Amino acid sequence: MGGDLTNLEIENDAAAVGQSWQRSDLEAKVRGTFRYTADLPVPRCLYLGVHRASQPHARILNIDISSALEMPGVVRVVTGADLFGIYGELIYTGPAFADQPPIAIDKVRYVGEPIAVVVATDLITARAAADEVYVEYGELPAVLDVDDAISGSDYVHEHLRPSSVFSDLKHLQGRGETNVNYEYNLTSGDVEKAKANSDKTVSGEFWCPPTSHVAIELFSTTAWVEGNRLEVVTTTQTPSYVRQALASMLDIRLNQVRVRTQPLGGGFGSKMYDRLEPLVAAISWTYKLAVKLEITREETFVLTTRHGVAVSSQMSADSIGMIVSAEADVRYDTGAYADIGPRIASKSGMVACGPYKVANARVRSRCIYTNKTSAGPFRGFGVPQVTWSHESLVDELAREFGEDPAQFRRKNLLREGDVAPMGTVMHSADFVGCMDAVTSAIGWNTPLERARGPWRWGRGVAVGIKAVLTPTISNAVLQLNQDASATLLISTVDMGQGSDTIMAQIVAEILCLGPDQVRVVNPDTDITPYDTITAGSRSTYHTGNAVKKVAERMREKLISIAAQLLGVSETDCKLTNGGVVASSSQKYLSIDEIMQLHFGAIGTTLTTESNFTTEWIPYDKETGQSVKVTEHWFAGAAAVELGVDTRTGRIHIAHLAVAGDVGRAINPALVKQQLEGGAIMGLGHALFDEIVMDHGQMINGTLLDYQLPSVKDLPDRLTPIIIENPHQTGPFGAKGVGETAIIPIAPSIANAVRDAIGIRFTRLPLTPERLLMAMAGEGD
Amino acid sequence: MRPNVFRPQSLQEACSLLEEHEEALVYGGGTALQILLKQGILVGSSFIDISGIPGLAEISFTDDFLRVGPMVTLRRMERSEEIRELFSLASSAYAKVANPRVRNTATVGGNIAHGDYRLDPPVALLVLGASVELTSRNSIRKVPLEEFFVDFQVTDISAGEIVTAVEIPRSIHLAGSSFVKLSSLSANDWPSASAAVGLMENDNGVHTLRLALGALAATPVMATVDIRNLNLDQTLEASLSKAMELMDPIADVRGSVKYKLRLGRVAVEEAIRSAWKEVPNGR
Repeated sequence: MGGDLTNLEIENDAAAVGQSWQRSDLEAKVRGTFRYTADLPVPRCLYLGVHRASQPHARILNIDISSALEMPGVVRVVTGADLFGIYGELIYTGPAFADQPPIAIDKVRYVGEPIAVVVATDLITARAAADEVYVEYGELPAVLDVDDAISGSDYVHEHLRPSSVFSDLKHLQGRGETNVNYEYNLTSGDVEKAKANSDKTVSGEFWCPPTSHVAIELFSTTAWVEGNRLEVVTTTQTPSYVRQALASMLDIRLNQVRVRTQPLGGGFGSKMYDRLEPLVAAISWTYKLAVKLEITREETFVLTTRHGVAVSSQMSADSIGMIVSAEADVRYDTGAYADIGPRIASKSGMVACGPYKVANARVRSRCIYTNKTSAGPFRGFGVPQVTWSHESLVDELAREFGEDPAQFRRKNLLREGDVAPMGTVMHSADFVGCMDAVTSAIGWNTPLERARGPWRWGRGVAVGIKAVLTPTISNAVLQLNQDASATLLISTVDMGQGSDTIMAQIVAEILCLGPDQVRVVNPDTDITPYDTITAGSRSTYHTGNAVKKVAERMREKLISIAAQLLGVSETDCKLTNGGVVASSSQKYLSIDEIMQLHFGAIGTTLTTESNFTTEWIPYDKETGQSVKVTEHWFAGAAAVELGVDTRTGRIHIAHLAVAGDVGRAINPALVKQQLEGGAIMGLGHALFDEIVMDHGQMINGTLLDYQLPSVKDLPDRLTPIIIENPHQTGPFGAKGVGETAIIPIAPSIANAVRDAIGIRFTRLPLTPERLLMAMAGEGD
Repeated sequence: MRPNVFRPQSLQEACSLLEEHEEALVYGGGTALQILLKQGILVGSSFIDISGIPGLAEISFTDDFLRVGPMVTLRRMERSEEIRELFSLASSAYAKVANPRVRNTATVGGNIAHGDYRLDPPVALLVLGASVELTSRNSIRKVPLEEFFVDFQVTDISAGEIVTAVEIPRSIHLAGSSFVKLSSLSANDWPSASAAVGLMENDNGVHTLRLALGALAATPVMATVDIRNLNLDQTLEASLSKAMELMDPIADVRGSVKYKLRLGRVAVEEAIRSAWKEVPNGR
C-alpha cells in the first residue's frame, strides 16, 4: 500500500478545462445506436391520437365521438369536459399564467388546439379515429393581429389567470377585457428633453414573424401508473418543472411523480414547460392506463413557436454622434396562452435600447394574447427580435452622421463597469472586443468591389446583448466510486450543446480524472436533483458552478480521509492524478486505496452534494430599474460580407463572422459549434424562415414548405470567434454560449444589404421577393 | 388499415393488378408519393410496387431514341456518361432535383407521373421533344410530352395505365442548351421559376429556339421560337415575348404572381445566354 512519489507525476498535466474533449455521445450518434427518449423501454402502452381544432376562436358546441368509439381498437375518447369534471381549475397550467388547459374545455383559442384525444391499441388506429371526431363550433371573432389585439374589443381570455409561481403577477388576477397579459416599462432620464436637444433622430417600425424551432427529434411523452405513483418518460428541457407541474395538476406529492428524459435531438426552447406532459399525465393518471403520445412533424408546427414581435422605436444622437436617447414600444404576439411570454417581454424589453450608453431611455414591452399557437421560449428568449430593431436603428443613425457603422458603435458601446439603461453594471461582456474581432475577420477596412455584373456587394455588422435568466437554481450530486471513476447526478439536459461533456470536464479538472472516468446520469427526478431549466444559455454557468462546487467538496472529503490514513494534516495533502500525496513525507495513496481503507470494501461510493442559486433585485414596477437585474451578461457580434443579385433579389453570403464573449471556453470545440449553430439558425431567420398564416391557419406547416437553411445556403466562409473575458464568479470564468450567436445575425445581414443596395428593410425575413420588389420601388 | 402492397413480377401482372384494383397507386421510388399521402393530397391504401419487374430499370439506345425505363433513378440520369454526352440538358435538369438522397431513390417514371408543375426534368424533356410510353393490359401508347401534362397536377395517364418508358428522340440536334432553376427561399427548395432552352441547328445554322418553363403555370409549358437571322438581343426579345405568353404563375408562400413573372424572365434570359455561348462561333 502507498508508494513513493518519485516516479509519479505530481501535476495534472492532462488538465480538462480548456480542452476540446470529444462529445461523450459522439460515437453512438454517428453510428445510430444512440437511444433517444422515444427509444427507451416502457411498459406495453395504449396510443393517443389528437383531434385538433380547425377554427382559431370558437365555442365548442358539441363533440361527436360516436364514430371514433365504434372503430375497432379504440378504448376511449377523452374530452376537455371529462378532465375538467375531475380536476376543475387545477387542469389549467403554465409557467407564468395558469391559463392553458391540456385540452380545450369550453372554447378553442387557436387552430391546432387539442379538442379530443383517442386512446387506442395502436398508433394508426388512434390517429385514424381522431379524424373521426366531429366538432360543432360556434364561431367567435378571431384576434389575429397583435396591434388589433391591443385596440380591439374581442378577447382571447375572459380574464387573466396568473399562476401562483410568480408573486409579481398577482395584481393581474382576474383582470378582464384585455389581451395584454403583461407590461414591462423602463424609464431613465428625460427622453423628450434629450430628443429635443439632439442633432439627429432615426425611427422605424420593425417586425419579426413567428418561426418554428424544428428540432429534428419529434416530441414524445409516455406515462403510466406504478402503484400510487406516476411514471413519465418525455422529451423535455425542464424535467424538474414538469414534475412540479404534474404534481400540482394531479394534486399529488412530488415523490409520486417521476420524470425522465434522455438527451434530446435538439430543443431550442421548444421542449419546455407544458407541452405534451399535462395531457398524457392526466389521461394516464385518471384512467390508470399506460399511454404514449408521439406527435407528427406537422403537429409540431402548431405546438409552439417563436414570438412574432412588432417594435416601434427611435434613437437620437447629439452633434458628435453620441447616442442620447432611445425608445422602444415592443409588442410580443404570444398567441393563445401566455406560456413564458410575460418573462420574455420583460427580459427582452430591458435590453431593447441595445448595448449602448444611453442616459435617456423609455421602453414599453407588452405580452399580448392572440388566437394563434402559443408562442414560447426560443433560442434568444425574445432578444433577437428587439436586436433587429436597435441594430438597424443604430446603423441608420451612423449613416445619418456619415460615420462608419462600426466606429459609430465603438464610441457608444457599453464597456466594463458602465451602467446599462436598466441600471445594472456591465461585467465580462466585451462588446467592443466582439465587434472588433468580427469586423477584422471579414476585412472590414479592406477595399470592396461593390458592383460586379448584376451583383451589388456590401458589409454589415451588429452587436447583441442579453441577460441570463435570474434568479435560478442548480444542484449537483457526485458519487466517487472506489475505482476512481465518478458518477455525476444533475438535471441539466444535454440537447446537443454538449453539457454532459462540459460538466464531466469540470469534475475531471477538479478531481484530476480523465475523459472516460466521469459519467453524467440522464435526468431522472427520482435520482437527479432539482434544476430550474436547461435553457437561456444558463447551464455552463449555473450547473457548472454547482458541479465545480460538488467536485471541490469531493476533493476536500477525499483529502480529509487520506490525511487521517496517512497521519498528516489536511493542508499537507494534495490531490493529484489518481490519488492523494502528502507533501512533507511524499507518501501517496491512490483513490482506490483510500476508498478501500476507509470503507473496508470494494465497489463503495463517496457522495457529496451542492447547490448554486443566483439572486437578483427585482426591477422597479414603474421604471424597470434594478442594480442587479441579472447574474451576468452575454455579449456577441456578427459581421457579414454579402452580395445581392439585382436580377433575382437573392442574397449570397461570402463571409459571416460571429463572436461571443464566453468568459472562458471550457470546451473550445463545443463553443465554436454553438456559435456556428446559432449563426446558421439566425441566417435562416434573416433570409426565409417564417411561419406564414392566413386567417388563423398556418399555411406552410410541413417540412416541404417550411424553409430552413440547407447546406447550399451556408456562407462561403463561416468564422466562429471565441472572446474570453473571465467572469469573476463563473466556473473557471466560464459563461454559456447557446444563444449568443443568433442574436445579432439578422440585423448584421440587413445592414450589409443596406450597404449593398441602399435600402433599409424593417421586416423579416429578407426574401428575394422583398428585395426585388423594393429595388423596383414596389416594396411593402 | 394497414397498406396493401402488391409486388408483381411482370408488367402483365402489374397491369392486371391495376385493372382489378382501380384505386391502387403505382409505386416507383416513393419519394413524392409518400409526401403526397402524408399531406392527404393523395389517398390510397393499395400500392403496386413495380421495382421487382425485370427490365424496367434499363437505359437503352436505338437508332432513333434514347429509351429510359420507369425505374431508372434520377441519379443515374444525372451521372450516365452517355446521357451527359448526348443529352446534357437532361443530365443537368436531373442533377438539380432535390438532393442526392432523393435522386438515388426517385425514378424517371414516378417523376413524370407526379405531374407537378414545378418539377425539373419535364422542363428539359419538353425541349428535347421527349414522349412517354403508357402501358395498360390491352394497349401501349406513346404520348408526346407536350400533350402529357393536362392541367394542375393532372396528366394524360388513364386508369389502368403505367408509365413504361420515357423516350428522347435522337433527331433533334441541339447546338446549345441550358437549364436554369431559380428558387426564392432555401437554395434547395422547389423552383419559383425554371427554364430550359435548346437551340436547334441545321447546315444553315441555328434556326429554332425551343423553350420550356417550370413553376410558372399550372403545368410545365413549352414553345418554339423562330430565330433564323436573329442575333442574341433579337432572340432574347422574341423569346421573352413568347415566354410572357406562356407564363401564368400561381401565387403561394414562395412568391406572388408579379414576383414569379419577373423571376421567369430572369430564368429565360439566363438560359438563353448560357445556351447561346455553346453555339460555335456565335451563330
